[in-house]
Amino acid sequence: MASVTTRPPPWRDVRVLRVLLQLLFALGVVAVVTWLFGNLVTNLDQIGLSTDFDFLDQPAGFQILGSDFRASQTVRDAFVVGITNTISVAGIGIVLATLLGVLVGVLSLSSNWLVRKAATIYVETLRNLPPLIVIVFVFSAVILQLPRIQEASEWFGLVIVSNRTIGLTAPAFEGDSAGTYALLLGLGVVAAIAVAVWRTRVHRATGAPHRRVLWGGGVLLVVAVVGWFALGGPLVLDRPQIVGVQIEDGWAMNANYAALLIALVIYTATYIAEIVRGSIQAVDHGQTEAADALALSSFQRLRFVVLPQAFRIAVPPLANQYLNLTKNSSLALAIGFFELTQTTLTIIGNGNPAPQSIAILMAGYLVLSLSIALVTNLVNRRLQLVAR
Amino acid sequence: MNQRRWRWVALFAVLSLVLGACGSDDSNDAADDDDDGDTEETVELVQDGSRLDGIIDEGTFVCGVNDAVPGFGFTDEDGNFSGFDIDFCRVIAAAVLGDAEAVEYRPLAAADRFTALQSGEIDVLSRNTTWTATRDGSEGAAFTVPTFYDGQGMMVRTGEYESIDDMGGTSICVLSGTTTELNLASRFNAAGLEYEPLSFEDNDLLRESFISGQCDGWTSDKSQLAAVRSAYPEGDGGPEALTILDETFSKEPLGPAVADGDPAWYDAVNWAIIATIQAEEFGITSENIDDFLDSENPEILRFLGQAAGEDDAVLDPGLGLPADFAYQVVSQVGNYAEIYERNVGPDTALGLERGLNALYTDGGILYPPPYR
Repeated sequence: MASVTTRPPPWRDVRVLRVLLQLLFALGVVAVVTWLFGNLVTNLDQIGLSTDFDFLDQPAGFQILGSDFRASQTVRDAFVVGITNTISVAGIGIVLATLLGVLVGVLSLSSNWLVRKAATIYVETLRNLPPLIVIVFVFSAVILQLPRIQEASEWFGLVIVSNRTIGLTAPAFEGDSAGTYALLLGLGVVAAIAVAVWRTRVHRATGAPHRRVLWGGGVLLVVAVVGWFALGGPLVLDRPQIVGVQIEDGWAMNANYAALLIALVIYTATYIAEIVRGSIQAVDHGQTEAADALALSSFQRLRFVVLPQAFRIAVPPLANQYLNLTKNSSLALAIGFFELTQTTLTIIGNGNPAPQSIAILMAGYLVLSLSIALVTNLVNRRLQLVAR
Repeated sequence: MNQRRWRWVALFAVLSLVLGACGSDDSNDAADDDDDGDTEETVELVQDGSRLDGIIDEGTFVCGVNDAVPGFGFTDEDGNFSGFDIDFCRVIAAAVLGDAEAVEYRPLAAADRFTALQSGEIDVLSRNTTWTATRDGSEGAAFTVPTFYDGQGMMVRTGEYESIDDMGGTSICVLSGTTTELNLASRFNAAGLEYEPLSFEDNDLLRESFISGQCDGWTSDKSQLAAVRSAYPEGDGGPEALTILDETFSKEPLGPAVADGDPAWYDAVNWAIIATIQAEEFGITSENIDDFLDSENPEILRFLGQAAGEDDAVLDPGLGLPADFAYQVVSQVGNYAEIYERNVGPDTALGLERGLNALYTDGGILYPPPYR
């Protein structure tokens, strides 16, 4: 007996219904968005407000703390300064928070009772506060309590601390041969990498210790030192100094920027520490025992056995924390640092249309977040266990 | 695997499109300008029902105010709003609704106030707001007659600076999203002076920053500086520790504003405010107003909505306000002088002289248009 498969009528065919429902849903979303957008444009038109982006070419009219932005520059330039400041805080913040977080995370598993408890107390206190509170606290209880510029404290001529600006000594290129020296350093880095790659090959081929960091670093150091003397000292230490009531030269870091950076770093580091601790604990205990059986030192065990496996687990949740740090930087508007949000709100407050400005603000954060997600996903892909 | 790679390529393409669009804007400026002709559309004014009718039906309206400037708009210990700008909300309520207390106050940050006005969240903005061309145009606000003529000044710690021209290279505290911020840039740039602006969202952290010495000067409208100075903590030296420099470097006509496109509501608000000035000119106060109800002066009778002359005719100027609105305003809130003296005058903590804010007959520039 031949089995006859008859297709049910379309309104009862699950394959048709599935497609149809998804289509209906998509149409619904499009309709709602169109309606909301039309509503906005109509209402703006009705009260005679502009719905285009011409305001980007208007003069901004205000100045921005810690930047060369002039009041006569356009609103578009102000947005660029804002997003640059956000990237600066997020970029440096992510690096510092990761370093601090990994350190605290490892320490919280220490066998030393005091160290372990100290790490736990740090994590549990800061993690349970809203980030805005941490930022305002760091600003008003730490930064504002630093000495005034008039009685700024100077440490060995290298660092000047005041509640207005914190001046750090920074290396700076100087003199006619500065460009040549910078090029030379670049070549040095390339040579160092090449040497490191060569040592790795030697190691693979003969089993001799590779010592690639030592070799590469050595090459770079030799190039840097020889070049420095040959070109007549083109790289100098640029020391901060007080001029009038401001700190100039060196790396003059704005106090409000410092407050935001410190707050974001110590706040996000607590989450990173927890992720690192959890990831280390998730590495199978047999791995530790195997390392011990091979007589690796406790540092070697951590460096070559435990941490590489822990990071594989840690990367996806870390990416989340990086995104959080970037987005939390918008809370700087409480303490007057001109990152993207504060800049946008100032632009709106000075007579520019809000819907368009907010749209630019959202697009800015979206691009930043997607870029971070892209990078961390690529890293994650590389770190993932490759089945052989 | 392949499919995954394509997904990345697609995401990257979208990203580069977004970035590319941002980057290429600069080169398209000329093209953008050319498009202006197309975007100019005739704006249809929708006349179906003024806000005024809705407010009369509702029996209350929303006034956007400040809650952090003593004398102008602040909340006292009991959570009640009071101050000069608050009193003008009450003036409008008395005129339109006959009850000075029929106001719902909505405290707003400086940067949010026009968005609140445009979106209709508030009916009137009475929050020490300066009347400027951009706010009239791009922000869609319609300003009434100014209630307070102010000017921007600079406050410093006593003895540190004598004039603004000495202040090159200093750090200045300022509220963000205000005309003050823009005037500051104009004043310093015009004099060729450098400065670092410290912009804060609200007065509380700004004051903390100033007290800690993070900035050398605090710039704002002089009336606001006087308010801050009067309340400067004794622990930090009290009011004498601060000096407001003599120079006034901007014009700041402060007044209420309503949203564009509603002339009926605008007229009602505007004339409610004019009534307080007119009452002062006539010498009518909340104390003596009842004596004027049988005045000999037909202008006063007309103003108070009383039948003038032998024909018992009451003037209705067509403002959509009750005939006795001026009576309600003055008897419930007071005339301009009373409002001024009560909140910011010489006998208050702010101690501001009338100055420009006196009647034109007393050397000021308050000049009410005739009520007829």
